[in-house]
Amino acid sequence: MSLLVAERIGVSFGGVRAVQDLSFAVEAGEVFSIVGPNGAGKTTIFNLISRFYDVDGGRLLFDGADITRLPRHGVAERGIARTFQNTELFERETVLNNLLIGCHVYRRTGLVQDLLFLPAVRRQELAFRRTAEDVIDLLDLQHYRDQVIANLPYGIRKMVEVARALCLKPRLLLLDEPSSGLNPEETEDLAFWIEDINEELGITVIMVEHDMNLVARASDRVMALADGALLTIGAPEEVRRHPDVLRAYLGD
Amino acid sequence: MRFIRKTRYEQDLALFRHGGQRFWYGLLLLVLLAAPLLLDRFYLGELALVFIYAIAGVGLMLLVGYTGLVSLGHAAFLAIGAYAQAYLLVRGWPFPAALAAATLLTAAVGGLVALPAVRMTGIYLAVATLAFAVIVEHLIMNWTSVTGGFRGMAVPAATWLGMDFTGPTAFYLLCLGVLVLVLWLALNLLRSPSGRAMLAVRDSEISAESMGIHIARTKALAFALSAGFTGLAGGLFAHKIGYLAPDAFTFLISIQLLLMVVVGGLGSLHGAVFGAIFIGLLPQGLAVLRDTLPPAVAQLPGLEPGIFGLILILFLIYEPLGIYGRWIKVRAWLDAFPLYRRATHKRQKQYLRTERLQ
Ligand SMILES: Nc1ncnc2c1ncn2[C@@H]1O[C@H](COP(=O)(O)OP(=O)(O)O)[C@@H](O)[C@H]1O
Ligand SMILES: [Mg+2]
Repeated sequence: MSLLVAERIGVSFGGVRAVQDLSFAVEAGEVFSIVGPNGAGKTTIFNLISRFYDVDGGRLLFDGADITRLPRHGVAERGIARTFQNTELFERETVLNNLLIGCHVYRRTGLVQDLLFLPAVRRQELAFRRTAEDVIDLLDLQHYRDQVIANLPYGIRKMVEVARALCLKPRLLLLDEPSSGLNPEETEDLAFWIEDINEELGITVIMVEHDMNLVARASDRVMALADGALLTIGAPEEVRRHPDVLRAYLGD
Repeated sequence: MRFIRKTRYEQDLALFRHGGQRFWYGLLLLVLLAAPLLLDRFYLGELALVFIYAIAGVGLMLLVGYTGLVSLGHAAFLAIGAYAQAYLLVRGWPFPAALAAATLLTAAVGGLVALPAVRMTGIYLAVATLAFAVIVEHLIMNWTSVTGGFRGMAVPAATWLGMDFTGPTAFYLLCLGVLVLVLWLALNLLRSPSGRAMLAVRDSEISAESMGIHIARTKALAFALSAGFTGLAGGLFAHKIGYLAPDAFTFLISIQLLLMVVVGGLGSLHGAVFGAIFIGLLPQGLAVLRDTLPPAVAQLPGLEPGIFGLILILFLIYEPLGIYGRWIKVRAWLDAFPLYRRATHKRQKQYLRTERLQ
């Protein structure tokens, strides 16, 4: 069974049909990339899955369950984590605190326990900290642990956002243009990390990405969009050579 | 510069970051405990008032500084706590039970106010909280059977099990004890998921939601907690002033409370305490100012709110981190002397964040 299924989803903003009548399925364990020119509707798909927008029609199924009407905070609880195209971090907090907030779905203590910092809270904090430290080690963020986000360079922020998403221990990770703003070395590292995340942690990845080399290297399948509609889905090389895709990128 | 060697994760969970901190705060507490031996009743009273402001300041700081919600109506919560305390004492409740009930009642009111309020942001929320405060003021004036209306009501003495908390020393120690308790609770909150959820909501609601944080619930809890602490301060304040009347809880008090957290330094508990000291010194400062200004200006009716507003604006422009921010810089300067670099505290370039979710 596919992990994520989109059945004829669509959404419009005023006159703009950002996503129209789109169907696709993402298999558990794969890296699935979404490509397309600017304004094609890639980010909108993520925002539909995250429930920031309501679909005008169609359904989204995650692991067989309908998530089309889930409350926004319920998406993370189901095991879907995401990053944002221009990063959305907790600016005034440290990297560590950002990651600890990423552990929020695993909290079992309530307000009163927290206020009194009962032993259960302390144990939970230590468990969260171990999760955060594992992710810090994985993504090599040790140097930045206690730094406030607002003081970090862009490339590091991008990685902190990935790290924060990993703290949710998601089953599905949505990466929105992870390589934008990274230099070539950082992009190289990113390709390895996506591999690690996918293969070692067993997380299914959907990635919106412009860098075609990264897409070709990291993904199992690619979906190409233009003007909110599907062009084609297939192996990276196929999609790259597909006439509709060439036309969408180059104009006719 | 102090470098802290960390060997265990527990170190980051400790209330004090290093032994030096524990020493200085311990010393401060000892000095404060010994103060009744050194100070006369006037200064003890003034200090007790600063502690009460600080308790309310911690409450408001949780809302404004940590959750990023503005309230222009916190005088209402102070009033609810104060009147509840007086009313329950009149009805014969034991002192600690009355104080606890006043706190919980105010927290509950805060939670109720939050239900509609959490759907608003910025200026709308500010106006809504202001409207709430006006309603409460009217309620106090008109609900004569409970509040005494315009005439007001006397606050019964705070006695319990033969102890009298009304005396200057006892009341001072009581306020100090409550402040320490409130600071401890707030510190606990900020090192656990409930507090971090508030920080997350403050910095990015869409991110918080995609981390699984329930925004409305988090804001409502922040409101309830903030109101509860402010109500607790109100309960103590009732004993401090001894006689409650509607004009003790005007809009000016709400502004003063807000001034306290902004001037002290948003987003820090130190800021709440520094702000309380500032507010405590303010009346003396204003009195001096009145003496030096030409009488025509000094007698202007709007002088006090005008000065409050001016201070608020100056701080927002020149020192958004408040007195606490200034203190950090002075300390860094002392630590690094003579190697201090001018640009140490310049923020690095801010990266663009779009309003749209792309
Ligand atoms: N919140 C919104 N309001 C109005 N229009 C939007 C909104 N979000 C996206 N759009 C429009 O939908 C289209 C697709 O946008 P988007 O998904 O961000 O594209 P991209 O593929 O570059 O990520 C664009 O035309 C964009 O202007
Ligand atoms: Mg986009």
